[in-house]
Amino acid sequence: MARIGVFVCHCGENISATVDCGKVAETIGNLKHVAYSTEYKYMCSDPGQTLIKDAIKEHNLTGVVVSACSPRMHEPTFRKACAEGGLNPFLCEMANLREHCSWVHEKNELTTEKAIDIVRTQVEKVKLNSALQPIKVPVTKTAMVIGGGIAGIQSALDIANTGHKVIMIERSPSIGGHMSQLSETFPTLDCSQCILTPRMVEVAQHPNITLYTYAEVESVEGFIGNFKVKVRKKAKSLDEKACTGCGLCTTKCPQKKIPNEFEQGMGMRPAIYVPFPQAVPNRPVIDRENCTYYIKGKCKICEIVCPTKAIRFDQPDEILELEIGAIVVATGFDIKHADFFPEYGHGRYKDIIDGLQFERLASASGPTAGVIKRPSDGEIPKNIVFIACAGSRDPAKGIAYCSKICCMYTAKHAMLYKHKVHEGKAHVFYMDIRSGGKNYDEFVRRAIEEDHVNYIRGRVSTVFERDGKLIVKGVDTLLGAQQVEIVADMVVLATAGVASSGAEDLAQKLHVSYDSHKFFAEAHPKLKPVETNTAGIFLAGACQNPKDIPDAVSQASGAAVKVAALFSQSELTREPLVAIVNRTSPPTYSTCVGCFMCQSVCPYQAIEREEFKARDGKVVKTVAKINEGLCQGCGTCVALCRSKSIDLLGYSNTQVYAEVVALLNEY
Amino acid sequence: MDNLILRAKELLENKTVQVVIGYEAGPTGVVRPAFISDPANADSLIYDERCVQNLAVYLTKPEVKHLGRIAIVSSLPVMRSIMMLISEQQISYDEIVVLGISADGVLLDIADLSVMQGYIDKSDLSNPVKYKELLAELKKLTPAEKFEYWQKELSKCIKCYACRQACPMCYCTRCTVEVNQPQWISVQSNAHGNMEWHILRAMHLAGRCISCGECGRACPVGIPCHLLTMHLTDQVYNYFKVYAGTSEKMNSVMSTYEPNDKESFIV
Amino acid sequence: MSDFEPKIVAFVCNWCTYAGADLTGTSRIKYASNVKIIRFPCTGRIDFMLLLKAFSNGADGIIVSGCHPNDCHYTSGNFHAKRRWIMFKELMDFMGIDMSRITFSWVSAAEGARWAEVVNTTVTRIRELGPYVSYKELVNKSVEEEVKNG
Repeated sequence: MARIGVFVCHCGENISATVDCGKVAETIGNLKHVAYSTEYKYMCSDPGQTLIKDAIKEHNLTGVVVSACSPRMHEPTFRKACAEGGLNPFLCEMANLREHCSWVHEKNELTTEKAIDIVRTQVEKVKLNSALQPIKVPVTKTAMVIGGGIAGIQSALDIANTGHKVIMIERSPSIGGHMSQLSETFPTLDCSQCILTPRMVEVAQHPNITLYTYAEVESVEGFIGNFKVKVRKKAKSLDEKACTGCGLCTTKCPQKKIPNEFEQGMGMRPAIYVPFPQAVPNRPVIDRENCTYYIKGKCKICEIVCPTKAIRFDQPDEILELEIGAIVVATGFDIKHADFFPEYGHGRYKDIIDGLQFERLASASGPTAGVIKRPSDGEIPKNIVFIACAGSRDPAKGIAYCSKICCMYTAKHAMLYKHKVHEGKAHVFYMDIRSGGKNYDEFVRRAIEEDHVNYIRGRVSTVFERDGKLIVKGVDTLLGAQQVEIVADMVVLATAGVASSGAEDLAQKLHVSYDSHKFFAEAHPKLKPVETNTAGIFLAGACQNPKDIPDAVSQASGAAVKVAALFSQSELTREPLVAIVNRTSPPTYSTCVGCFMCQSVCPYQAIEREEFKARDGKVVKTVAKINEGLCQGCGTCVALCRSKSIDLLGYSNTQVYAEVVALLNEY
Repeated sequence: MDNLILRAKELLENKTVQVVIGYEAGPTGVVRPAFISDPANADSLIYDERCVQNLAVYLTKPEVKHLGRIAIVSSLPVMRSIMMLISEQQISYDEIVVLGISADGVLLDIADLSVMQGYIDKSDLSNPVKYKELLAELKKLTPAEKFEYWQKELSKCIKCYACRQACPMCYCTRCTVEVNQPQWISVQSNAHGNMEWHILRAMHLAGRCISCGECGRACPVGIPCHLLTMHLTDQVYNYFKVYAGTSEKMNSVMSTYEPNDKESFIV
Repeated sequence: MSDFEPKIVAFVCNWCTYAGADLTGTSRIKYASNVKIIRFPCTGRIDFMLLLKAFSNGADGIIVSGCHPNDCHYTSGNFHAKRRWIMFKELMDFMGIDMSRITFSWVSAAEGARWAEVVNTTVTRIRELGPYVSYKELVNKSVEEEVKNG
């Protein structure tokens, strides 16, 4: 026989000002199965909670309804109080008398009646609650960081420094990401490589970090603390242990005309290559798509010249199966290229380049050794135009958002140009200058005031070629929308930052949501910016949205702390409010008929197959089974199941049915 | 139907299958399902316009499954039912041989699942014409007239569940109506319970009904309950541009979604 | 029927509309007290049979509300719910069952004012429609029959 205790809270006067709490407590006290009903000024206070604990013992309660504020506020408080009073915490429910009643209605009879109905409904529900035990899941204390840019590097180092193992996956042959391509960084103009390279080396040498480059995630199964990740280690055609990184092969490779990805196509590389001199690991890979041997079946010059015989032409891809406890996604971003812009010639004009290409031109280790030469004829441009917001903040181009970093790097580019070409003229077309950040606006002012960069507030309508010059037609909105035409030698587009290629595919493998621009979605835009909607998977850096280096690094450290916090426990405790497929005695085993439509609605792949076998080992029935480690308790499968074989603990069919009946019927 | 008989005999004789499910004429001339396991009896197989019952309903019955491998005489609705049953993991194509029959009564050579898929793909999958007309008539009624019409029809229901038993898709071993914790549907036959039962049945077949009309034919009191599911079949196509029983993969509309599914009533 | 106070039950998801209704309270926005809320983890959990049960237990109106598309806490529960409601509404319309008695809405955790508006417009509409007599009669008739038949 149920013995329910009901505790009506006044919440100071928040509830009692409009609801007659005395009447509520009294009316509820007269209901069948209510063993105790009382009111109190502050249930959440220490004496209030003691009231509950004492009543549980004194009245031998089998269920508790705290009629107070929203369960979203204090459900954990009161469930804990019940547990301390000796009652299973899941036998406690809250009736929301404050947010859903006293605060939204006037003081009158109807409001008190509604309060009674709300409490009554919870009394009927709690009668059907069952004592549940928290689900405990073990934690594999190894993290995986996907992406070896600055965000991934920072996260990996931070996690590794807490003493936990980290596996870093990078799909290109070297870690370093976009930061390794940058010449200088704003707002300090310190050399990007100089601050990044030591971190890259630290990753390679850290005893807790295992680095797999030229590797991609193949599949992800499992759940927080217990992911099973398959990683495809693409064949580098090289015995990495034998290779000493002498680089002889790369100099002897006859194939030399492959556009160099690291140089953004501004330079060439051979088929066996190290992406850049500071690469980590500093070992070559063979690009099989462009290698003469793989195309024509003969060459093997690299094999012949290799002093340690490290070349392995028949090396297959390798699939690693890894047990992972937490994942940090740090796959970064890409930028739109000049061919995205019909108004600027669809990438037809060689001297219209994007920001990353400019970085390579300005870089001392770049294809021009840091001299700003235009791609078409190697001349030093005398007149250079920078176009900010190329694609960004332009819904017509499908990119409504601000790419955030372009205002700053455009100012940097203009500045670097002026520092290198003193007599040259730099013009910047911009929509607004967005330079929020420590020392950021000062930096832009320096470009304008000290380096005399000509900032023109307006958009560029078209760029076309005339007599070997680029004609930039735009408008100056600060001069009454006056037409401006600049004859330029080179144009740099600050193109929009977009999601990294393959981001959507990876998000689907990880079962993490992503936005309409294919950027990874955070669990909450303000309060959970590094978490994803999948527990145990965190975000770092520009895979979430375009970010500058300090933001990416901060978030990476944030993600690392989340991982470290997770790994500080040997077991995770989860709320047991999960779905369950019924079981009956043989030969039925379950009323589930095994159509597995539930499997297709489950967003968490939590529905597994369970086979029942006869004595001869023959499978007699296959039914659905919920993996309680994966189930998040949404209940979509429950509403879908035609035979009502699935139920949701805490929101069971009998409970919600009882709520409907109680809420609508007289008492 | 000599081809069908020959093929059935062959399959039974060379032990490819243990039983052939088809149609035969009973002693009074009424067409009934036939379960033939002896090649000598295959001569009784018939196929004509009277052979409309959806035989796929037998494929999920344990007592039929125990007979062994089955060859089944399959018009388009039966083939679509088989596709649905495969997608919902109730049968496997290996367990059956499909004796496909075209709309004009010709035996098809359904060599494998992909051939059946091809035949389904090029068929008209919308509701049969005679039902389309009935549906169009009903849609013209005002809401009050519709309510009255269905109340009148459903009041006849005696809750015999013949509609459920005849439907190949209603293969659950326990139906929601048999659940009493809570009692979702009133056990008695009454106006309210009857209506809720038919709503439940139609909703459970939304996106799964292959428009065979068997439920309506099975109803002993003549309730056109097939129009409820067929109406939803129409709507599934209107909204989601798919028909049931067109893929061996789970693709029923109620278990999948598209982020840009359109509706006009959610505020 | 001017003094008719409709009984309205709201089936809402925990993460968006329930939280939105909490915000209505925190913002002290007033609305009609006819609507009473039942909390579900997700709109995907809301069985269409529950809507029928609400009517058969005397509800004059129903509100079903959850997260906006793409905002579901569980990624896709509301998308599945949406398909379910599309089918349910089409079936109800076909059977002449009054769907104007059900408000389907998306109300986010930030839309406290909107929740009040959804409630108030629903209450106003159901007041105009009056008690759901036809459904109640159906139930009463059936109960009488049951009593008669023992």
